[in-house]
Amino acid sequence: MTCTDVTCPVCGMSCDDIYIELTDDAVLTKNACLMGDAKFQELRSHHRLTKPLVHGEEASWDEALEKTADILVNAKRPFFFMGSETSNEAMAVGIEIAEYLGGLVDGNATICHGPTIMGLQLSGQVGSTLGECKNRADLNIYWGCNPADSHPRHMSRHSQFARGFWTEQGFKGRKVIVVDPRRSPTCEAADLHVQLKPGKDHELIDALMTMLRGEEPHPTVEEVTGVSRETLNKMAEMVKECKFGVIWVGLGIASSRGHHYNAAIAMRFTHECNKFTKFVINANRGHCNVAGFNQVLAWTHGFPFAVDFSRGIPRYQPGEYSCVDALSRGEVDAMIVMCANLGGHLPKKAVERLAKIPMIAIETSPGTNAFMSDIILPGVFDGMECEGTFYRMDNVPIYARSFTKPPFDFTESNEHTLKQLFEIVKKKKAEKDAREAKQ
Amino acid sequence: MPERQSSEVDDMEITLNTGSTVYQGAIIKGGKTFADAEGYMREAAYCNINPEDFDALGRPWFVRITNEYGDSVVLRAKKTNTQQRGEVFVPRGVWANIVVTVYTESTGSPTYKNLKVDIEKCNGPVLDPVTLMRQEYFGGNMHKIWKEKAED
Repeated sequence: MTCTDVTCPVCGMSCDDIYIELTDDAVLTKNACLMGDAKFQELRSHHRLTKPLVHGEEASWDEALEKTADILVNAKRPFFFMGSETSNEAMAVGIEIAEYLGGLVDGNATICHGPTIMGLQLSGQVGSTLGECKNRADLNIYWGCNPADSHPRHMSRHSQFARGFWTEQGFKGRKVIVVDPRRSPTCEAADLHVQLKPGKDHELIDALMTMLRGEEPHPTVEEVTGVSRETLNKMAEMVKECKFGVIWVGLGIASSRGHHYNAAIAMRFTHECNKFTKFVINANRGHCNVAGFNQVLAWTHGFPFAVDFSRGIPRYQPGEYSCVDALSRGEVDAMIVMCANLGGHLPKKAVERLAKIPMIAIETSPGTNAFMSDIILPGVFDGMECEGTFYRMDNVPIYARSFTKPPFDFTESNEHTLKQLFEIVKKKKAEKDAREAKQ
Repeated sequence: MPERQSSEVDDMEITLNTGSTVYQGAIIKGGKTFADAEGYMREAAYCNINPEDFDALGRPWFVRITNEYGDSVVLRAKKTNTQQRGEVFVPRGVWANIVVTVYTESTGSPTYKNLKVDIEKCNGPVLDPVTLMRQEYFGGNMHKIWKEKAED
């Protein structure tokens, strides 16, 4: 079977030009990057989880769902982690169950660009679509990101090497600045590498803003940031001279000390640049539909991530209701993880808590997340085995079609799994409430 | 045992940055963290060190990184020109996460980057992901799956 224009469900770029040739025992891809290809190969991998597991033993689908519902209904502080490798539709059902049971809900954004979103709430973002950047940008600034590794097709499809409507010269008409403490592979394409000291982004942006206003930065700027005045001057000149500049921010800004304040000042810097020329700032988001979680939660409950429903109304507080914090404080007593690899991505103290509490995973492969889980409900690949909507990293919704079916018949999609679970949860919750009323 | 050079140090304070690489991404996104544990170790259980720091540490094969809470992890040492003096890079993964702290500054995002740690030369070994997770996380909890299977 041959499929064209398939949407890739791996990084935030949602590349929609993948060619797939699917046979009984192999998958051939064209246009996909190394990470995309690895994901498509999972369709025919030998280690795919296709049967529900309870404590490592095979169980029937109904039994696994019943046990999952028992855990969630009887928990005092259940946590719903809506991972990014699934559709908006599935996330919406997960959020509904969390609201129904008065649990906490969070998504991959919390350990990714959550602080960037908080920066956006502080300062406001001058954003654009990826298409605008491709067609107009003559200056790309990669700030704290390394698209050569994290988004392998980013530079060729949307920024540096792409030929756009007003940028038909491609890379010959564009300039690149990379701001990164290490000499990453992206630096190979850079006109200017600003190799700052780690964690000095805020100070560097502050100095640049001062220079854009025509004033002298503090004399210690070289010593503090590790960047020479010559490089700073050059960067400020490149910013002022360009016609359309883009700052692509990565986790170098969001995960460093200062977190959301780094993101906020980067956005204020973009405002400042707009006094000279057109400038936008976009987050290089790394995991498939991670932007979708923020969108779905925002349009259903008003907040982008880290929401608690325990008082019947949505309350938003990063640092308190966010996944890492709630886990490491030890207050979560049950966890359901959909399509995310928490075992492999959370810091030690949070994973220690995962090892102590009952954990349910909607999971496709026996990796670090399955290793931590008591119950495993086999997952479905959105965009391959079922259709769904993904939000691209520039918050543009992309509808992903399916081209094959899941290798089991008890569920059609992760959305379907959660809907089945929700029915059982409602029944069990009603029974529990009736029991408690009697007492 | 070669004699220690005067410029060598026992351990040094250094800044740790973690991040993704395309090869580590291919293993993670392809769901092969345990199916290809050897590949996962190859792509995520190493530490990039600046040549001068590498010499000062005594040209190690393996290094131990320890955070302020005493959590430590052993990694393969790699000498690279990509790092500045005083900072090292470890790809994202279960190894790096042992030393990443949960200090989130009320944002929900842990200190994945720009973390002060101690680094020292050691004799290994680098643990495979299953052994590492069992050792670090399953202290006495017998109800989790894969645990028993890993012991077979």
